[in-house]
Amino acid sequence: MTSAATALANQLNFEDLVREHERMVFSIAYHFLQNGAAAEEVSQDVFLALFRGLSKLESRAHVTFWLRRVTCHRSIDYARRNKNAAAEVSWDELPEQPPENNSAQRGDPMLSKRLRQVIATLPEKMRMIVILRYQEDAGLEEIAKALRIPLNTVKSTLHRAHAILREKIGAAIGEGNV
Amino acid sequence: MSDKLEQELKKALRRVEPPASFAERVLARAAEEEKPGAPLRPWPQWLGMGGLRWAAASALCAALATSGLVYHHERQKQGEEAKEQLMLALRITSSKLQIAAEGVQQMNSPEENQP
Amino acid sequence: MNEIGGVMKRIGTIVALLLATQLTAFAQDWDPGGTLKKLSTRASKTVDVTLDRSMLQFASGFLDAKDPDQARARKVIADMKGIYVHSFEFDKSGEYTEQDVAAIRDQLKGPEWSRIVNVRSKSEGQNVQVYFRKEGEKFKGLVVIATEPTEFTFVDLVGPITPEDLRALGGQFGIPKVEMDQNSAGKKGESK
Repeated sequence: MTSAATALANQLNFEDLVREHERMVFSIAYHFLQNGAAAEEVSQDVFLALFRGLSKLESRAHVTFWLRRVTCHRSIDYARRNKNAAAEVSWDELPEQPPENNSAQRGDPMLSKRLRQVIATLPEKMRMIVILRYQEDAGLEEIAKALRIPLNTVKSTLHRAHAILREKIGAAIGEGNV
Repeated sequence: MSDKLEQELKKALRRVEPPASFAERVLARAAEEEKPGAPLRPWPQWLGMGGLRWAAASALCAALATSGLVYHHERQKQGEEAKEQLMLALRITSSKLQIAAEGVQQMNSPEENQP
Repeated sequence: MNEIGGVMKRIGTIVALLLATQLTAFAQDWDPGGTLKKLSTRASKTVDVTLDRSMLQFASGFLDAKDPDQARARKVIADMKGIYVHSFEFDKSGEYTEQDVAAIRDQLKGPEWSRIVNVRSKSEGQNVQVYFRKEGEKFKGLVVIATEPTEFTFVDLVGPITPEDLRALGGQFGIPKVEMDQNSAGKKGESK
């Protein structure tokens, strides 16, 4: 294949990949960092890293895994570098989520916001595990690979996260402590 | 883990839309990286200080020279060629349309319509 | 990330080959008898520009917004799906005939095509025809066929280009502009 064809193929694929994955990447960063500007900065860096290394990726599934992993690590790095900066819980920055049609989703409209605020107080690794589990519906092994931590650590951390969340928010959703 | 809490977590952590034109900004930054003279990225902190930094710098430069720079130069060249092709195509199109316009104008000029 | 090479490069190859196939197939749509290929073998100079949507977008990224022509080009191609230009210059007249190009003109006789300009200059031997393609009320493309004794040019612009865009396109990119009277468009006739 000519280098021109490779370049063209890469150009096509990169734009497609950005549009396909921008919500995922941005959302991971946003839910983790709780700040729109920071999330955009991290997300852009992630996609630029993808752009530079596109030829090394082997499949679309590999791209998805790679993007998740890099977004997680860069978000955590960003948070550590900016530890002293107060987190801005600027929920007004983003447009409102479209209303859910499913009746099971109705209830306390502020509950999601409160949950996100509680999640923001969790330790970094724990927070990211919760985000991958419930935003991305990732399996435990997938989370372990993405964060490069043992599977048992993922399990125990997630278990502790549930306990914390139940304690802090359980009353609001009609659950007591077990 | 209760279903109720899981449901609420999934709802709270639904994916959100990035800000408007996010993708365009990413693509623009990627295109900027292709241009010659783009500023070098800041030195990564994790590489540390002193001798280790210089050794790492040499290795990094060698890696860039053999892969990244070659790729970027090639891409820049292809982009410039595509741009030249595009401008040529538009010039040719414009010139032919101009001939058509001049012909139509002559056809409709008052002198032509004199009995 | 894993090492260089592998499935992604192969996917890239397949994409590039499919793209090339599409380009070839499109060219064949306009060239059932291989006219363009024949003309290119006889021509002393050939300009052959093939830019599909992806290449237009690629090229657009390198246009300089500070250059007026390039900034204009970016606006023109924003919604275009393809620009294809084939231009042939010959050493002497008679190297190609009307029959040579008839197969291409025949492609423009369908109901979706409207010829809006047919300008002929007997003294200079120039003939320019402009066709629009419409689907319902939507403009879908533009074809220009320009013939001179020692030159043949075929331009195919694919995309939502309107008569207004056409007027904006003429007299740009270094070509002096002459205002085209909108009421004149659609009349056929001879200039001299």
